Amino acid sequence: MATSSNPFILADGKKPSCMEMLQSILDGEATPEQKEYFKKHMDHCMPCYKSYNVDMTLKELLKTKCCGGAAPEDLVAQIKAKINTTA
Amino acid sequence: MEFEDAPRQHYTEKEKQEIFNNEFMPHINSMYNFGYRLTLERDDAKDLVQDTYLKAYRFIESFQKGTNAKAWLFRILKNSFINDYRKKSKEPSKVDYQEVETYYNSDEVDRQITPDLRVESLKDMIGDEISNALNSLDVDFRTVIILCDLEGFKYEEMAKILDIPIGTVRSRLHRARNLLKEKLKSYAQSMGYK
Repeated sequence: MATSSNPFILADGKKPSCMEMLQSILDGEATPEQKEYFKKHMDHCMPCYKSYNVDMTLKELLKTKCCGGAAPEDLVAQIKAKINTTA
Repeated sequence: MEFEDAPRQHYTEKEKQEIFNNEFMPHINSMYNFGYRLTLERDDAKDLVQDTYLKAYRFIESFQKGTNAKAWLFRILKNSFINDYRKKSKEPSKVDYQEVETYYNSDEVDRQITPDLRVESLKDMIGDEISNALNSLDVDFRTVIILCDLEGFKYEEMAKILDIPIGTVRSRLHRARNLLKEKLKSYAQSMGYK
């Protein structure tokens, strides 16, 4: 068959929206077939293409801006001391 | 406190120490960040993380060695936050999930215009804008973004950590991101982007 069926279609036959497909792709929840399908879909869906870039940038920024800090140094020592007194 | 219906384990004292040091302690930085992002107070975050680790040690025989320690610890921390911290601060839960889920499942969501946030304006947010926007979200929306985008948990893991169905994880995440983008869009406007 020349027209490939949409691998995002769920068992209940419901067609997913662009937003639902995009979310699966962004969060690494898509199968290889779904990724392939979405890549082609983005070629002719401008809103998806734009959203993909914004959402991916935001996801990366969240990771670099909002984590990476270390726990206070004394916290580990405090926890271990409490464990040793209760053990 | 059990994560799966795993049978109760029996560990020697030495094994307990090994699990604690090799499987639990390596997650201390992520745990602290999670605690901080939930409470938004460094001292409260410390207390919450300490309390979580003590509970994890106490219930260590509910943990099956070699399984997903990070998800197990995050679940304990989230429960401690809800049961202890939230009660203390008497903060009512502000989110009406029924409303959120109904909204998500309606056609309205597809008609909704995604905030027109641009990659360029996002990349110019070099200060605390992203962090502040995240912190300003209601705690339940904040939580799904922390778990997914900061910590990289899969939907299935998030469902177990939060005790909610995967469909709810998806819809809550979607709503949370839209709220975050709305905040960032207003920052972008104040920075002079149209």
